[in-house]
Amino acid sequence: MNNRLFALATSSIGRKALMALTGLGLIGFLVVHLAGNLTLLAGSDGAAFNSYARTIESNPLLPLAEVGLAALFLAHIVLGIRQAAGNREARPVGYRQFQSHGNRKVSTSSMLVTGLIVLVFLVVHISDFRLAARHPQGLAYMVHERMRQPLGAAVYLLGVGALGVHLWHAFQSLFQSLGLRHPRYSPLIDKAGRGLAVLLALGFAVLPVYTWVASPAKAAAKAPAESTSSAVSGPHDSSPAAATPSVTKEPR
Amino acid sequence: MSSQSTAPTAAQNATLDSKCPQGPIQDRWDRHRFQTKLVNPANKRRFHVLVVGTGLAGASAAATLAELGYRVSVFCIHESPRRAHSIAAQGGINAAKNYPNDGDSIWRLFYDTIKGGDYRARESNVYRLAQISNHIIDQCVAQGVPFAREYGGLLSNRSFGGAQVSRTFYARGQTGQQLLLGAYQALMRQVGEKKIQLYSRREMLDVVVADGVARGIVCRELGSGKIESFAGDAVLLATGGYGNVFYLSTNAKLSNATAAWRAHRRGAFFANPCFTQIHPTCIPVSGSHQSKLTLMSESLRNDGRVWVPQKRDDDRPPAAIPAAERDYFLERKYPSFGNLVPRDVASRNAKQVCDEGRGVGSSKMSVYLDFGDAIARDGAPKIAEKYGNLFQMYQRITAEDPYHSPMRIYPAVHYTMGGLWVDYNLESTIPGLFVLGEANFSDHGANRLGASALMQGLADGYFVIPATLGSHLAGRKLPPVSTAHPAFAAAEQDVQQRVERLLSINGKRGADDFHRELGLIVWNYCGMARNAKGLDLALGKVGALREEFWHNLRVLGSAQELNQSLERAGRVADFLELAELMIVDARHREESCGGHFREEYQTEDGEARRNDAQFAYAAAWQHTAPGADKGGQPSWSLHKEPLNFEFVSLSQRSYQ
Amino acid sequence: MSADHAPSSGMRLTLNIWRQSGPADAGRMETYHLDGISPDMSFLEMLDVLNVRLEREGREPVAFDHDCREGICGSCGVMIDGNAHGPEAETATCQLHMRSFADGAALTIEPFRAKGFPVLKDLVLDRSAFDRIIAAGGFISANTGCAVDANSTPVAKSDAELSMDAAQCIGCGACVAACPNAAAMLFVGAKIAHLGLLPQGQPERSKRVLAMARQMEAEGFGSCSNYYECEAACPKAISVENIARLNRDYLRAGLTTRD
Ligand SMILES: Cc1cc2nc3c(=O)[nH]c(=O)nc-3n(C[C@H](O)[C@H](O)[C@H](O)COP(=O)(O)OP(=O)(O)OC[C@H]3O[C@@H](n4cnc5c(N)ncnc54)[C@H](O)[C@@H]3O)c2cc1C
Ligand code: FES
Repeated sequence: MNNRLFALATSSIGRKALMALTGLGLIGFLVVHLAGNLTLLAGSDGAAFNSYARTIESNPLLPLAEVGLAALFLAHIVLGIRQAAGNREARPVGYRQFQSHGNRKVSTSSMLVTGLIVLVFLVVHISDFRLAARHPQGLAYMVHERMRQPLGAAVYLLGVGALGVHLWHAFQSLFQSLGLRHPRYSPLIDKAGRGLAVLLALGFAVLPVYTWVASPAKAAAKAPAESTSSAVSGPHDSSPAAATPSVTKEPR
Repeated sequence: MSSQSTAPTAAQNATLDSKCPQGPIQDRWDRHRFQTKLVNPANKRRFHVLVVGTGLAGASAAATLAELGYRVSVFCIHESPRRAHSIAAQGGINAAKNYPNDGDSIWRLFYDTIKGGDYRARESNVYRLAQISNHIIDQCVAQGVPFAREYGGLLSNRSFGGAQVSRTFYARGQTGQQLLLGAYQALMRQVGEKKIQLYSRREMLDVVVADGVARGIVCRELGSGKIESFAGDAVLLATGGYGNVFYLSTNAKLSNATAAWRAHRRGAFFANPCFTQIHPTCIPVSGSHQSKLTLMSESLRNDGRVWVPQKRDDDRPPAAIPAAERDYFLERKYPSFGNLVPRDVASRNAKQVCDEGRGVGSSKMSVYLDFGDAIARDGAPKIAEKYGNLFQMYQRITAEDPYHSPMRIYPAVHYTMGGLWVDYNLESTIPGLFVLGEANFSDHGANRLGASALMQGLADGYFVIPATLGSHLAGRKLPPVSTAHPAFAAAEQDVQQRVERLLSINGKRGADDFHRELGLIVWNYCGMARNAKGLDLALGKVGALREEFWHNLRVLGSAQELNQSLERAGRVADFLELAELMIVDARHREESCGGHFREEYQTEDGEARRNDAQFAYAAAWQHTAPGADKGGQPSWSLHKEPLNFEFVSLSQRSYQ
Repeated sequence: MSADHAPSSGMRLTLNIWRQSGPADAGRMETYHLDGISPDMSFLEMLDVLNVRLEREGREPVAFDHDCREGICGSCGVMIDGNAHGPEAETATCQLHMRSFADGAALTIEPFRAKGFPVLKDLVLDRSAFDRIIAAGGFISANTGCAVDANSTPVAKSDAELSMDAAQCIGCGACVAACPNAAAMLFVGAKIAHLGLLPQGQPERSKRVLAMARQMEAEGFGSCSNYYECEAACPKAISVENIARLNRDYLRAGLTTRD
């Protein structure tokens, strides 16, 4: 690592670019993740989904990918918080009155908030599905179980909703941060970004909705209620759970 | 009074030596540069040059001198050098490039400038200006000034201010801004390289003359009120014009004469103070609250027709006045030039019809500039394309829509041709004190052509002073001097006392109030038209006002803080004296020329009548009561610099 | 300041103005009542009127910066009811007229706020941070006298126009003032675009952007969150496209320069 690169990465423009790049990587992950999720809709038994899960989990490169993914998340989050803190310092005395005229929507000014909500959700989500002991009936069953509970579904919907709002601003913003703007293309990018935000949010929301609407009876049929940590306390009490052989524990 | 000396003015009562080179005019500048001593490159960094002012003239001079290796300190009253008044210039900058191939040449620009100045400028200076004009454009383009261009990528030119060739380079309506940013950036580059020390928010309040040579300045740091002295080997004043003596003018509010006036009091002669330019197309005064006037580009006269009702006190709205009852007075009186007559002629005629009671608008002090015919002919979109931004500006200020009813305009003070007297080297009568840009008197005679002030400011700064400064630095013995020299303490004390005096009068009227009254006096009696009786009257009025000022001024706050009222008061005090000198000068010049129109001296058609036999000279005034600051009676003696016209023959201007 | 005597026509206003006697003072809002204001007055002329009355009452006038009063020098600039340069788009404070406000309005007038713009007094700022950013690299190094003929370097008209769009920046700092992060990206981006779009600006393009951005951070300005408040507040409507250009040039320079 030479000085120039270090300076680049730690400058405010460089940090924004890194946020953009990590964000782009995360969006890529989300798209793949969603595609995987949607296999749940293929057939009522969740076989497709389970086999998809198994394929991924049996890939020897998975740990590496997970480390990479975690790094992306971590970098994105740390950079975001770092940036927000720095920006607060740039105006030590605030205004009595302030009116917005920019392109700021809720999405724009709430990036930090939506980002943090997504972060909390992420922790719950990982502990629910990635770290929790794999149920013998497979991952699809676990998902159904989780989504069947109003609280579980609500947390999930909240997280997904926050993600959508986050992405509403994020996509076009990342292009701007990378310096990719052109009067001809930027409006398209803008639209595409919003479309993507909606698609991802709706796509992810399909799961609980599907669980509730499409197969309520089946979901309700067997409810061993053995179940799991509550959404809120998730991160803490899920880790001690015994690992099933198929689960590779990640360092986190 | 202090022990500080004033310049010994070798010229005392002798004729002034302009130091103009002789010989063929084309060779004079070359020859002069060759004959001027060069400063040894190794010595340059030993010389410290103080540059006061960061407009086009000051910024370009400071940057260039630093590039040459001099040690430079730069001062301005503004928060940033980029805010100097030059930033507001709109129309453009002239050069004799002849890119359009329409017959322009250095000689023609020279000739036009001499003629436009009504034969009251120095031929040598003007020729040099025309020669340098081309290099200015090259330099500015190299710096990244985004001048307007044609589709082929080459520079675009337009005709400006009635010129018959297209020699004006422009950057939309913001030419001054772009040129100044170019010079400012060059200046800031040197600041970044530590070759220039920048002192902004510093108001120069005195020149320090030590042993007969200008060796420093005294400033007030405007944030804290601290009085500071700076010593150097040469002092350059580039502090702009004095149009704000009229209170209402198109000049920026901070433009002032203080630096020049302080120098004048220390022995620098002030030349042709009565030569002021009134611009015909400004937005009229809207009420007593008016704080400044806004210029609208002269180009409007290309398509707008100027008229007033034929009847006096005709209160009908313009649309209700049939064509037969309108007086298109410029077209009527000047059939060949029509609405495009020079600035002074257009202005004077507008004043005349208003004085006849035929002015329009609620104040009756404006004339119509009507685009109705142009819109009917070319369509509104075409007109919008040409003047859209100007129409928008007009509408923003007046809330009237010029697409539907005629604009109203009135002349306003715009530029001052007079200023500190300088020789061909731009050196004033105080050795070592140089004056650049609008602050000097040199190149425009009695009237300045449009787009020539920017040219002159940059010529002075980029090209003239870097070459002529050697005459002083290498040509004179300059013993080392520091602020320990007694002249500094004396000057500081003078400044201090004056500031305290202003604060301690404790009267009833604010400085602005005096300034407004002063402006009105000068405008009424020493404005677009002057006569002996009015000038005598004005002299008394200004004297009385000055007297009152020093007894009835009120300035709140203290000297040890940012105190804008105090700053203004000091400037108004100087304007009060300068106004007196303007009137004295206007009174003594018993002829009409350019912007100086004496009603007693006009042709049968009401045109200016020069008197070349008696007045073909620059009038340089010496302050003869230099100690009489703080309200004492100023007095002056006149020195004449004869103007010889070897290359242009004198003729009467005619625009009919 | 009171409205009790002299039945005055014109607008009545309540002004809440930030008063601060010097850099060290904590400052506070003070309220003034003003009447007899003509809708044709400019906003600064309204402040002039206020100041005359304050002076008459022996109270210190409100300090504010101004000079050209026609929207080009960039000296003026205050927050009016939370809007940089007031409620009108593409209008500097000095170009604002009182007809933009309702009779009886209460206006909150504050200085532009940013760590990079310390308040000197009342509404007067020190924006010399901008000068230092320019000094760091906002120029083309072309010593006087070395220039070639102006027409030897053609510039595509569209580039010249875009460059001019950016070059119009008046350096008022409204972009910083309106930015929730007090970022100076639009100011810097405008200069990067002005010079970077011209052939003359190419030799120093990388050096310039790195140096200016470094100085921008050193001055304590925030970073860009792409809120685009700056563009909306800019009296010259300078586009955030210039910020993208700054980002692009910066990243390219950071990744590719050799020294
Ligand atoms: C509205 C308008 C439009 C114009 N349009 C054109 C045009 O299109 N073409 C053209 O050629 N000309 C035009 N002019 C004229 C031209 O702009 C000026 O003549 C020219 O810019 C003057 O430049 P300058 O460098 O001499 O001084 P200025 O730009 O006035 O600069 C003066 C400098 O001196 C400083 N200063 C002043 N007093 C002190 C002090 N006591 N101590 C320290 N510093 C001090 C100031 O801070 C400032 O930096 C226009 C003028 C106006 C008013
Ligand atoms: S006073 Fe110059 S921009 Fe407002």
